Amino acid sequence: MGESSTARARWELENNVQTDEVESYFRYDPAEQQAIQTQKPWTKDPNYYKHVRISALALLKMAMHAKSGGNLEIMGMLQGKVVGDTFIVVDAFALPVEGTETRVNAQAEAYEYLIDFAETNKRTGRLENMVGWYHSHPGYGCWLSGIDVGTQMTQQQYQEPFIAVVVDPHRTIAAGKVEIGAFRTYPEGYKPPDEGPSEYQTIPMNKIEDFGVHCKQYYSLDITYFKSAVDSHMLDLLWNKYWVNTLSSSPLLGTRDLMAGQVADIAEKLEAAEGQLAHSGRIGRFVAPGDKKGNGNDQQLLKICRDASKLSVEQIKGVSSQVIKDLLFNPAPLLTNGNAPAPMEL
Amino acid sequence: MDDTKQSSSGLDFKLHPLVLINVSDHHTRVKANGVQQGDGGGRVLGCLLGNQDGRVVDVSNSFEILYKVTPEGIEIDQEFLVKKRDQYKQVFPKLDVVGWYATGADVHEHDMALHKKVMEINESPVFLLLDPAIRVLRKDIPVRLFESELHTVDGRPTFIFVQAKYTVETSEAERIGVNQVAKVLPSGNPSGSEQLTAHFSSVHAAMKMLNGRIGILLQLLDKMAAGELPYDHSLVRQVSTLVRRLPAVKTPAFQTEFLKEYNDSLLTILLSSITKGSYTVNEIVDKFNIAYDKSARRRGML
Repeated sequence: MGESSTARARWELENNVQTDEVESYFRYDPAEQQAIQTQKPWTKDPNYYKHVRISALALLKMAMHAKSGGNLEIMGMLQGKVVGDTFIVVDAFALPVEGTETRVNAQAEAYEYLIDFAETNKRTGRLENMVGWYHSHPGYGCWLSGIDVGTQMTQQQYQEPFIAVVVDPHRTIAAGKVEIGAFRTYPEGYKPPDEGPSEYQTIPMNKIEDFGVHCKQYYSLDITYFKSAVDSHMLDLLWNKYWVNTLSSSPLLGTRDLMAGQVADIAEKLEAAEGQLAHSGRIGRFVAPGDKKGNGNDQQLLKICRDASKLSVEQIKGVSSQVIKDLLFNPAPLLTNGNAPAPMEL
Repeated sequence: MDDTKQSSSGLDFKLHPLVLINVSDHHTRVKANGVQQGDGGGRVLGCLLGNQDGRVVDVSNSFEILYKVTPEGIEIDQEFLVKKRDQYKQVFPKLDVVGWYATGADVHEHDMALHKKVMEINESPVFLLLDPAIRVLRKDIPVRLFESELHTVDGRPTFIFVQAKYTVETSEAERIGVNQVAKVLPSGNPSGSEQLTAHFSSVHAAMKMLNGRIGILLQLLDKMAAGELPYDHSLVRQVSTLVRRLPAVKTPAFQTEFLKEYNDSLLTILLSSITKGSYTVNEIVDKFNIAYDKSARRRGML
């Protein structure tokens, strides 16, 4: 009995320590932020900011807003502050802008709205300034396009500290986790150290050029999430009402288009790789082994391979939930056979 | 204030997790920053946004409103509210004001006055009360929904709050987001197998929950059969409907589609395995080439 109460006390202590830290994210000290503004630590090191912490609220808002846009790109602003080399994003709000790639930089249109919204938000106790913007890339992954790089570069010149966040609503559904990336651009003319690709992503064929041209102009920040004590309490309780959704969701049916698109994309990439291989030819490489071109092809195949594995993981997830559901709610035929459904001859 | 009174409007309220998180965030923020509005004691107020389709009210978003405490009660900043509403309207044109929220353990004496204020915008608003206090033993979400109904009290028609039932509703993206922040929080980008593990563990948790609920139901029915508990006809009828619905879909058409889907997935997995295999073969061939080539050259030199 005594033992359990001490364990409990320790548990509470540990948890309080943690919530105290999180609670500080919700506190806003204008003087502290002003000091950072005058110090401008980001001018000394283009890689100064390394981490982003996003609140549960901001993550949910972004994910839902991105999803509501469907195949259109949407955008919005992030509110928060900076602590050391970390961005704390506490909230996000949507802007009345949507459209294709060419239109998502239409900030001028939304500028008035933005100022107005931020001002009214301040009056309700949301004191944080804007620290970034987010937009969606429906179906083609989290990275910055040429236009995005331009927008972000301008923002970083005039409105530091500033980050760009990209959300992919389609892949979010397919992967079962929010596909999100946070980026900062390097100052113009800066040559980043040639580092390996930080995290591999699938880029569709028709976007790969745009990605390749600009991918050295920015770096991605490491994202973690936080929630307040009340939030986590609420989320825990939510689960009690919530488990039904996990069973009733069907990732396979929801993402058919995306899956088919990805298969087509892989096929296209394979064909392209094969074409290049035929050009240089195996014989050519046999004569001069280990030359650069050969490596390039291997790299390509490796990338395609990763895409394919990712796709198959998603497929396994989808199909396994389908089978589980079938076993749970459609028991009769399967249990009598004593087998999982065997592949049918079509 | 009679809490036991249930709403008779027959409206079906669907509550999105975003609203709950938004309200809780509003509360935390005000507490952390120490910005008190009047002497409201850290109580926060806001508007609920959503849309109504027939008898179903979908509460999917919310925003904060300002208020100040005056001797006559609480006064909300109507102008501010309208402005905020118009701002949200621009981004989410489908959402309307469907009600308002407040935090606190119980309904406040001034709440009916506020409710009437909101009625100027929506004829029959809903009032969401969220209790931000953390209680370890609590099993339910600390949220109550109220509607107002016109009743005759002491010979005078008066509005009173009646409690309404609600269900938690999520969109797919919201579900994933909530799952991510609630369960797999610290990890940034899990790899393929980690993703799979996370997926299976959440399915497992859901199945455990289902099993637990069925267990409780079974116990109850056993006790009823043994006569230990009064026989609840409506409950038994519900159980019987539920049982009759199993198997959920058992038609040849479904089976065909199901197997097609299953086979398609298997095919995709097979194809990606082949791709992986061909990559490995390619690697081996390259390595073999290098090895073979070197030895050939050496022989030539000798």
